[in-house]
Amino acid sequence: MAATMPTIPIAPALRNSVRVESVANRTLDEFLKSVERRALRMAELASGSRDEALDLVQDAMFGFVRHYGSKPAADWAPLFYRVLDSRLNDWHRRRQVRGRWLAAWLHRDDEDESDAIAQAPDANEPGPLLRLAGSDAARTLDAALGKLPQRQRQAFLLRVWEGLDVAATATAMRCSEGSVKTHLFRALAALRRALEDHA
Amino acid sequence: MNEHPQWTQAAKRLLDESTESLDAATLSRLNSARHAALAPRSQARGAIAFAGLASACLLLLALGMHHARREPAAVRDIAALDEGADFLVEDAGADEDDPVAELAFFAGVDEDGGL
Repeated sequence: MAATMPTIPIAPALRNSVRVESVANRTLDEFLKSVERRALRMAELASGSRDEALDLVQDAMFGFVRHYGSKPAADWAPLFYRVLDSRLNDWHRRRQVRGRWLAAWLHRDDEDESDAIAQAPDANEPGPLLRLAGSDAARTLDAALGKLPQRQRQAFLLRVWEGLDVAATATAMRCSEGSVKTHLFRALAALRRALEDHA
Repeated sequence: MNEHPQWTQAAKRLLDESTESLDAATLSRLNSARHAALAPRSQARGAIAFAGLASACLLLLALGMHHARREPAAVRDIAALDEGADFLVEDAGADEDDPVAELAFFAGVDEDGGL
């Protein structure tokens, strides 16, 4: 008589695990697909360069998947923009340090270095919006957004364009809700002024 | 109800338009970036699944070896039966006549003049 071996239900458990993982990856892929273009434009407006923007978005995707991929899908949007915002801040910080070294090397005036407006991309330079849309309004908006300080621009883009609420924007920008409102108020005022001046 | 000024709708529309007309090279790079970001996650999960499967196989192997080392009850019963059979064979042997003794018996009978 053959001895009976104990049976362990391994195969169904593994199958289920792989299936759940595959669904999660597909959902994550869909989420990234839904935000990647807007993320690219945000990074492009912040850096003024398509190549830099692509690198920044890729870094943000890596960081988001690694640190927040297992979080509930409802939290993904603010968390993704939080990572992107962090990458943009790092990029600006590196650029400022490089600018300081360059200024010391070229004996430039230090006052210009500390002026955020002076550091903004040249408004007359054709921006990404101009390349894409080619319209006067698009060019003006692009220039006005490019002139905004980083925090104000992010507050405007996340609240107005991405449609995040104040709390989610505060999560993305790692600041208080009050700060978000202040940044947005200033951004709206500056943009309105810039657009009216153009009109 | 829109909580932002009316002109922001136009800004939003312009920004949306700018994302819809990205060139193919940029879209391809975005696609690659997305897949590259998701790849380590799939690999890590695959490694975990493989490790789980390997552990399960080892567990099964260990259980099987443990089970094989234990003497099954059926084998024990057969061994007991075997011992009993030896005893019966020994008993049966004791009852059998010795041919040499038989020959000596019949030789004695012959000497005595028959039965």
